[in-house]
Amino acid sequence: MIKSMKNHNTIFFLLTVLLVLLFLSSLMMGRLEISFSQLVTIILSKITGKEISDTLVTKSLGFWWIRFPRCIMAVIIGTGLAVSGAVYQALFRNPLVSPDILGVSAGCTFGAALGLILPGDTFSLVHILAFFFGLAAVSMAMGIARLISIKPIIVLVLSGMVVLSFFNALLMIVKYFSDPFDELPSIIFWIMGSLSRVTWQDIFIALPVTGAGIILFMLLRFRLNILSLGDIQAKSLGMNPSAFRFILIVISSFIVAMSVATCGQICWIGLIIPHMARTLVGPEHEKMLPVTALLGAIFMLGADGAARSISSAEIPVGIITAFVGAPVFGFLLYKNRGSGWL
Amino acid sequence: MAVKLECRSLKFKYGQTDILNDISFCVESGSFCAILGRNGSGKTTLLHCLNGVLKPCSGKIYINSLDIASLSQKNIAKKISLVPQEHIEIFPFKVIDVVVMGRAPFIGMTKTPGKLDYKYAMEALQNLNAQNLAKKNFNRISGGERQIALLAMALAQASKIMLLDEPTNHLDFNNQYHLLGRIKNLCKTNKLSVVASMHDPNLAMFFADKVIMIKNNHVIAQGTAREVMTMANISELYDTQTTQIKIDDNKSFFLPEAKALGKN
Repeated sequence: MIKSMKNHNTIFFLLTVLLVLLFLSSLMMGRLEISFSQLVTIILSKITGKEISDTLVTKSLGFWWIRFPRCIMAVIIGTGLAVSGAVYQALFRNPLVSPDILGVSAGCTFGAALGLILPGDTFSLVHILAFFFGLAAVSMAMGIARLISIKPIIVLVLSGMVVLSFFNALLMIVKYFSDPFDELPSIIFWIMGSLSRVTWQDIFIALPVTGAGIILFMLLRFRLNILSLGDIQAKSLGMNPSAFRFILIVISSFIVAMSVATCGQICWIGLIIPHMARTLVGPEHEKMLPVTALLGAIFMLGADGAARSISSAEIPVGIITAFVGAPVFGFLLYKNRGSGWL
Repeated sequence: MAVKLECRSLKFKYGQTDILNDISFCVESGSFCAILGRNGSGKTTLLHCLNGVLKPCSGKIYINSLDIASLSQKNIAKKISLVPQEHIEIFPFKVIDVVVMGRAPFIGMTKTPGKLDYKYAMEALQNLNAQNLAKKNFNRISGGERQIALLAMALAQASKIMLLDEPTNHLDFNNQYHLLGRIKNLCKTNKLSVVASMHDPNLAMFFADKVIMIKNNHVIAQGTAREVMTMANISELYDTQTTQIKIDDNKSFFLPEAKALGKN
């Protein structure tokens, strides 16, 4: 037990170091090239208020208004999606579950597409509609499950499927009626997911929502172990599983809806990162949730860095996460074949 | 002896179907009570009603004369533990990490188990001679070992009443007697009250102080094992003729009639 504790602390420490290094290098990566000395000058000038040379002023602006918020957002989204994924897998006691299972992403996508074809100030409208329909989709799934109210977990999954298909149908209608030269491509690009539109305003919304949610999940991490034993056991151990499930679903839906509304669909993180964390430190949520959070941030920063620097034109980050995620998941399945759970 | 757990005119329905009707019994402190009945007679439902996992349609459950309807689920869990019949596949937890979950009712909502909780969990495993399981993957051990691990979890819960749903289900011939013997010992030494649903009337005969027979939603007989375990009652309960083989004055062994054994 002592040995595994040490082991787990070492992994946590190494991942933290990796995250800091990756964050620093992400600040320098991309079309706007910033060297390390320039980075130091830019940050120092912000702190001390010292004047900087004209060549650096543009870089400084780009850094403070685009690069820096974008990297922070990558950390927020990676962490949020990964931890929500871990929570969902514990709630549904199913390794194949990702946070989209109750239709959050489908709802968000429909809302965003609707926002893109409606006239008006599209940018904030897209955000608001995406967020609203994401939450609406989850509420519908939970409402249907509540109406049926037997075998809560399997019914939740099935109602999620119902809602998901419904919103996908709505999305198809929107796509069909959109202008194929202008609106349809923007819907498709939006769905692929990208961090290029991130502003400070997004961060001021995303950080408190995700931060508060993750703190709560961390506090309840031992309860997640118990919930994964099933409802009867959880009740015998003095918990109220349905109330817990409700609270946890609501919080993670806020996190996921917020992330899809700002950055589009970024697949795979919620599915593979919890598996990676479990492979590294074991399934106890006390240990695996913090590692999941770190890994999520690292994976997202890496993916976004790659999206910015692989080609001269930016690639949607959703493509990178899916491209890397699928084989990694395959490898994890192979690696964990002896655990008796997969 | 003091009455520990009392069930008074309990009634339970799934939808329109009656499952349990007018069930009343008492379990004394430190006694082993077996519930016998055919498949689907409502034994599991009864156990789940006793610790508030299911809410009965009417009737009351008392622990130390305290109505459990007035207790929170957490406070019930401090007094009653349950070892379920089905073992679900879960995350690949180590056995010790499963056993320590039995401490949940004593750990604050936002806390994680501490050193002392792990100590209790280890003691529970040692109590069942199963300390060698501690570091094994719960999903990779046999059904019988899981049963023992879950029993250890209930022991770690340190409640004075334990509900066992077919505790010998996954156990081999030797382990059935071994495990029930251990439980029986705990009844004596720790003043633990046990309510166990059982399939084998012979095991009930050997280990139970009290036997409750359930058929067609009703209790058809209850009392000390010696009073209740008669050829007539058992034949009635299982709808088959039985043969009684006397072992000594107190104990008998029951077999279904020759036809059921395949002889002509």
